[in-house]
Amino acid sequence: MALLSLHGIGKRYRQGEVEVSALQGIDLEIEEGEFVALVGPSGSGKTTLLNIVGGLDAPSEGRTELNGTDITTLKEARLSDFRLFQLGFIFQAYNLVPVLSALENVELVMVMQGRPAEDRRRRAQHYLDLVGLDKVMHRRPSALSGGQQQRVAVARALAAGPRLVLADEPTANLDSENATALLDIMHRLARKQKTTFIFSTHDQRVMERAERIVTLRDGKIVDDRRVEARHHEHAD
Amino acid sequence: MNSRHSHLPVAMLLMLAWRNIWRHWRRTLITLSSIAIGFALSVLMIGIGDGAHNSLIRNAIKLGEGHITVQPRGYLEAPANHKYLADGKALLAKLDALEVPGSVEPRIALQVLASTANNSVGAGLEGLSPRGDRRVDMLKPHLVDGAWIEPGDLRGIVIGAGMAGKLKAKVGGKVVLMAGKQGGDSQAQLARVRGIFDSKVDELDDYLILGDIALARRFLEGEGADPTLEPVTRFAVFLDDPDDMAAWKARLKAALESDRVAVLDWQEMMPQLVQFIMVDDAGNYIFLVLILIMVVFGILNTVLMSVLERTREFGLLRALGLARRQLLALVFCESLVLSLLAVTIGWIMGGGTHLWFSTHGIDIASLMGGGSTAMMGSFMDPVIRTELSWDRVVQLTLIIFGATLGSGIYPAIKAARVTPVQALRT
Ligand SMILES: Nc1ncnc2c1ncn2[C@@H]1O[C@H](COP(=O)(O)OP(=O)(O)OP(=O)(O)O)[C@@H](O)[C@H]1O
Ligand SMILES: [Mg+2]
Repeated sequence: MALLSLHGIGKRYRQGEVEVSALQGIDLEIEEGEFVALVGPSGSGKTTLLNIVGGLDAPSEGRTELNGTDITTLKEARLSDFRLFQLGFIFQAYNLVPVLSALENVELVMVMQGRPAEDRRRRAQHYLDLVGLDKVMHRRPSALSGGQQQRVAVARALAAGPRLVLADEPTANLDSENATALLDIMHRLARKQKTTFIFSTHDQRVMERAERIVTLRDGKIVDDRRVEARHHEHAD
Repeated sequence: MNSRHSHLPVAMLLMLAWRNIWRHWRRTLITLSSIAIGFALSVLMIGIGDGAHNSLIRNAIKLGEGHITVQPRGYLEAPANHKYLADGKALLAKLDALEVPGSVEPRIALQVLASTANNSVGAGLEGLSPRGDRRVDMLKPHLVDGAWIEPGDLRGIVIGAGMAGKLKAKVGGKVVLMAGKQGGDSQAQLARVRGIFDSKVDELDDYLILGDIALARRFLEGEGADPTLEPVTRFAVFLDDPDDMAAWKARLKAALESDRVAVLDWQEMMPQLVQFIMVDDAGNYIFLVLILIMVVFGILNTVLMSVLERTREFGLLRALGLARRQLLALVFCESLVLSLLAVTIGWIMGGGTHLWFSTHGIDIASLMGGGSTAMMGSFMDPVIRTELSWDRVVQLTLIIFGATLGSGIYPAIKAARVTPVQALRT
């Protein structure tokens, strides 16, 4: 069974009198361990789709099944807990809590999960090490570069042990060198952990690192193909 | 990961709250200091108010009829010269047997007409025990002319400056005291002015005549009292510890009260004073309310501003799986920490000012333009020491704490309403 399956997802927004259709008839299956890019022009519905998959937004119609759970039927509180234990999020910016250090940010989700202190400390350090931030893990986000902040977000998402990581334009605020470096780290960890990733992007060079590219246009999937990922294994 | 719902340990909650309130440390400090100053001001206000009132009460009790008064039933409602305690001796013996810690002062109060060749005025004749009397202690320092009545001087009286002026009486001058008898007759006694006091309390200066109890007792004899039973109109009971008043009142009531004898406390004896203090307190409470409003808006403003600035962060936390109630708790906790800090600093400042003024006092006589501090037939000490009872401490703490917490509710609800989608889109 697929890890994620979307059945006839549609999303309409009311804007005054007019209804905007952001997504229409989306059917999509994603298997465990896939590394998927969601691409398409601005306004094509990438963010909307990721929000629905992540249980942050409810579709107007259709079903989202994740790991055997129909999340469209979950109540708000259960959905929140579902996100905590099953999902990892990496956003474009403002990923981190400013008053917490990198290490504390990574630990925060595990605190909420109720993991024992020692376990979460160990995991947080391990993942910060993996993303190459062991030297700066006691710094607050304001003392980290944009690329470093995004890597903290990657470490946080993975340290909590999610089934699926959703990343909405994680590289949009990074220069292309940092962007491809971040993608390489994400890919490397995804392989290592067998964690499933879906990320959206505009960036051609980022796209190239995906193993599967789903293309959206005007709220519909217009292309879906597996590709040979091009990766450079960076040392950091 | 034993239970599949989100956790937010108190330590984490407090740590986040603490760090969050110091994110804008200047703003926080301004809020804290304004609350603390407001709080210190109210502590001072209330302290001065309580100090002044207590001083007024203490003096009123000394000038008046003691903490507890034993007098004829019905006298308070309708005072009259024919209402007296005929067997004062027996009552005094009972009172002595009770061993009240303090003093028991027999008094005879009569309504008389005081006349000289020049004028006549209504007056209150107070016959006081030659054993010594608080009222004497209070008024002796205000003697401006002549001397006090010597023991055994059954003709001597001391009058207030106001009355002396109206009667055009001087020290050594004759004053005829006349009292109506039940039935219509009247009786008179000749007295001589030995001294004149000027207490600045008009009610006393214009009205009071002090004499030996034996002088006043002559009028009771005229009413048919047996002088060998030592009749009086009342016993003023002064307690060493006024806090014991309720207990002693109950004991005296049990021992002495009958259909002829009533036992009253000073609040019952001076209802106007009690009312005056209540009204005056109301003024202080209005001030307190203003300060509370300031405090509420201070906290509301600070926490609400920080909530509105952090919409994205709240959206992020909610997206990561922080429950709505936990976010509510987090923001509320920030108000809690802020109000704990404010109350603590407030007490340090307010307590400090209180301690200073409770030992050094405030010279209210000079604040009031060097004039009289008389009011309600009593007067305040010229230097008021602020007073703060434990009741007040608890009351003020709870009020300020409640207000600050109350003002934290709205921002917390506001924060908990943030949805990740809106927050992350902006
Ligand atoms: N809250 C909303 N109210 C009304 N319309 C909305 C809302 N959110 C999204 N839309 C509309 O839905 C469509 C899809 O938006 P979405 O943000 O998912 O696009 P996107 O592919 O993420 O674009 P971008 O690449 O610019 O981030 C757009 O036409 C957008 O205007
Ligand atoms: Mg988008």
